[in-house]
Amino acid sequence: MIAAVRDAHKRLGRVQALRGVSLEVHEGELLALLGPNGAGKTTLVSLLVGLRSPDRGEVRLDGRDPREPAARRVLGMTPQGTGFPPALKVREVVELVRAHYPDPLPTAEVLARFGLEGLAGRSVQALSGGQARRLAVALAFAGNPRLAVLDEPTTGLDVESRRSLWREIQRFKQSGGTVLLTTHYLEEAESLATRVVVLDRGRVVAEGAPEAIKRRVGLKRVRLRAAELPEWPEVERREFEDGRYTLWTADADALVRRLVQSGVAFSDLEVLPVSLEEAFLAVLGEEEER
Amino acid sequence: MKLWWAHTKAELLVLLRTPGFLIPTMLFPSMFFLMFAAPNLTSTVAANLSTGSFMAFAVFTVTFFQFGVGTANERENPWSSYVRTLPAHPVYRNLGKVATAAVLALLAALVLVISAGFSTPLDLPLARWPRIFLALAAGGVMMGLLGTALAYLVAPKAALPLANLIYLPLAFMGGMWMPPEWLPKLVQQISPYLPSRQWMELVWPAVAGDPWRLQPWIAVLAFTVAFALLAAWAQRRDELIR
Repeated sequence: MIAAVRDAHKRLGRVQALRGVSLEVHEGELLALLGPNGAGKTTLVSLLVGLRSPDRGEVRLDGRDPREPAARRVLGMTPQGTGFPPALKVREVVELVRAHYPDPLPTAEVLARFGLEGLAGRSVQALSGGQARRLAVALAFAGNPRLAVLDEPTTGLDVESRRSLWREIQRFKQSGGTVLLTTHYLEEAESLATRVVVLDRGRVVAEGAPEAIKRRVGLKRVRLRAAELPEWPEVERREFEDGRYTLWTADADALVRRLVQSGVAFSDLEVLPVSLEEAFLAVLGEEEER
Repeated sequence: MKLWWAHTKAELLVLLRTPGFLIPTMLFPSMFFLMFAAPNLTSTVAANLSTGSFMAFAVFTVTFFQFGVGTANERENPWSSYVRTLPAHPVYRNLGKVATAAVLALLAALVLVISAGFSTPLDLPLARWPRIFLALAAGGVMMGLLGTALAYLVAPKAALPLANLIYLPLAFMGGMWMPPEWLPKLVQQISPYLPSRQWMELVWPAVAGDPWRLQPWIAVLAFTVAFALLAAWAQRRDELIR
């Protein structure tokens, strides 16, 4: 186990950001922390990387308190956003980070892996949004760490950059590295993770293999006009407004099949994606109310 | 050592590449000196004292703003949280900042001495410089800590206007711009209680070649400790909120 959190509580100002979270990160796994905005993912990560200490509970990185600088030698992290020190060049930023590690990757390799070759002498302020984001992720790997912590690594990236970043993350994992990734894209967790932990309102609400998590929170919305619909087990939640039904379901195919077979008269059928935030409201919000 | 240099180098590079900040900061105290002080300095004694005062003013400008406004801007920058996740004790980064501020303060003081050398009958024997240097450094540390405390106490956007509101009166009332006898009566009464004035009480004997009294050293040390405690408390408070 390379990192562990036991029963962590953390209050930030007036918000109780974590309410008793426990988490283990095992060597060699790719663990995705999934949750809507405000779920406590970033706060949890900030405990693991030594930026904050918990009000209650315990945090361990490589068996030590992550607030000890030496414990963080196993750790590489992405900066949030793209606030690099102004006026520095790409190479200088990478070298500043490398200077902290005993056995870092060569600067040229770091740049090449993340599609930044040819930009070494470019001022960080002159980078495009996507380039700056790639540099931020590259910094997590520059020190050749055992654990890379990637906080929302692909937010704001186009599809192609996202895919190439995923490839690099996979490659790091195949060479024996451990990754902790936070994301609010279910797709990202699904295609990268070996295990997913779902966080909502400061608690772990689900944990398991990506497919199992997807079945719980990977919802679609099926909208249609109909006079009346019977209750079906595939439907997680239903709404009826202006003669129009909205059905939330984990398996839109099965639901549509059942709809057709039931012989109910309907029109204007649409299948729409559901953001993780909406899925949480539909599934987890109801559980809490019960 | 490697880490300290890595951080110092990064800070210095940022500084060198922002001439819009660097040049005004270095030239402002000298410009002030040339416009308002130099024309009245006819004797060597007066020129020495005034040059000492304005060197302190130059060091004050650099350290107070570098640590005050610089730190305040950093509080909002996600990069500074990122740096705290790197495996290094924060002392390396802070030492990098101290080294950078020291270089900048030295340069600003040097520009001032050169301006004074050309415009006044300045005559400071080499033997006096170690004590001048020590006195300037002691005050620079004190004001750097005051700046740090300010940076963590107020909202980042308020730091610059508030820094000006503290810095200019402290310099004026502390006797950095004119001898204390020339200050208005009321100001003369307040002046001895200010950290800037106690600092001047170290600088003036050093430039005049007179022995130091113990009292201003104790005062400067006490202010330094008080500002350090305030800065440490404010920083902790800031970390708990965020």
